[in-house]
Amino acid sequence: MKISKYEEMNGFAIDMLREIGSIGTGNAATALSNTLSAKISMSLPEVKIMGYNQVIDFLGGPEKIVSAVLVHMTGEFSGIMLYLLDFDFVNIVFERLSLGKIEHFEDIDEIRASAIAEVSNIIISSYANAVSQLSSISINLSVPAMAINMLGGIMSVPMIEYGYVTDTIMVVDGKFIYNGGEMTSNLIMLPDIKSLNFLLNKLGVFNE
Amino acid sequence: MNKEIAVGIADMKFTRMEGRLITYALGSCVGVCLYDPIAKVGAMVHIMLPQRLENSADANVYKFADTGIRATIKKMEVFGALKRRLIAKIAGGAKMFDIPGGGSLGNIGQRNIESVRNTLREEGIPIISEEVGGNFARTLVFDCSNGQGNIRSFGRKEIIF
Repeated sequence: MKISKYEEMNGFAIDMLREIGSIGTGNAATALSNTLSAKISMSLPEVKIMGYNQVIDFLGGPEKIVSAVLVHMTGEFSGIMLYLLDFDFVNIVFERLSLGKIEHFEDIDEIRASAIAEVSNIIISSYANAVSQLSSISINLSVPAMAINMLGGIMSVPMIEYGYVTDTIMVVDGKFIYNGGEMTSNLIMLPDIKSLNFLLNKLGVFNE
Repeated sequence: MNKEIAVGIADMKFTRMEGRLITYALGSCVGVCLYDPIAKVGAMVHIMLPQRLENSADANVYKFADTGIRATIKKMEVFGALKRRLIAKIAGGAKMFDIPGGGSLGNIGQRNIESVRNTLREEGIPIISEEVGGNFARTLVFDCSNGQGNIRSFGRKEIIF
């Protein structure tokens, strides 16, 4: 069996993907806790297949300002990993790393920006490592790229990347929670359809 | 009248005499406003990709610059606009991330802008103002009562264009 659209995934495939996301997010949460020396918990990841406008609303609306770090996955498994931090979470990172809190997103200087990029990179790598080990698929990660801007503009990047193939987008979305849920950040995996088939085959989902 | 009409991604909306068309947070996508100042018919299309592939089964023409702009012109003509009177204002086409080596599509924002310009040139519609490129998202508002465009973006002054 092979899917040509995200919507064709059955319940079993989605469960499997949620499980993968859960292991990846768990690993990343541990890495984040260690990096920030703080207690970070995670939510059970959600696998969502949505239209372009829906996915942006799901993540907080088009004009929400977020800090985003994007990494391309290449090799046997390709796609995009995005780590989105909202303002409060960014401040936790600065506080824990003794960089001092900021008042506005505009106040982020070079040192703070590279701190976010570095923390995000650690989190994305540990997620990808866990997925890679679990499925024995090799995943190469690109150099991280960072932007602080409107969520809608940021999400246009993966949408456009898959725009010729699909009208929907699939996110495996894991949340990190600090201080009992007041402050969250999202780690999102967006595999392309070819890689999704490869992964699900490898995990035996399509071998019935 | 302060009617606001939201234009989604890969979507098109038009209105006559009154109302403001708005599309949120254009990243690498391009927002194209077309306007007939005499009939006061205005339309906004939010395109994602430069060209529709040949033999594509994709039903949504508004996703692509070439088919999206042409379909918009047809709709406007039905509602009383004259093609020879149309003017265009465009915004967007940013490069949100400075990705070393580039993504699989390269600088798609730039390609979107070029395809929009080409299509408008082929249709004989002048671009009277544009706010394109850069590395930030833009929310685009277009007022169909007077043809005025307005852009908001993060950490920058509002632009009237």
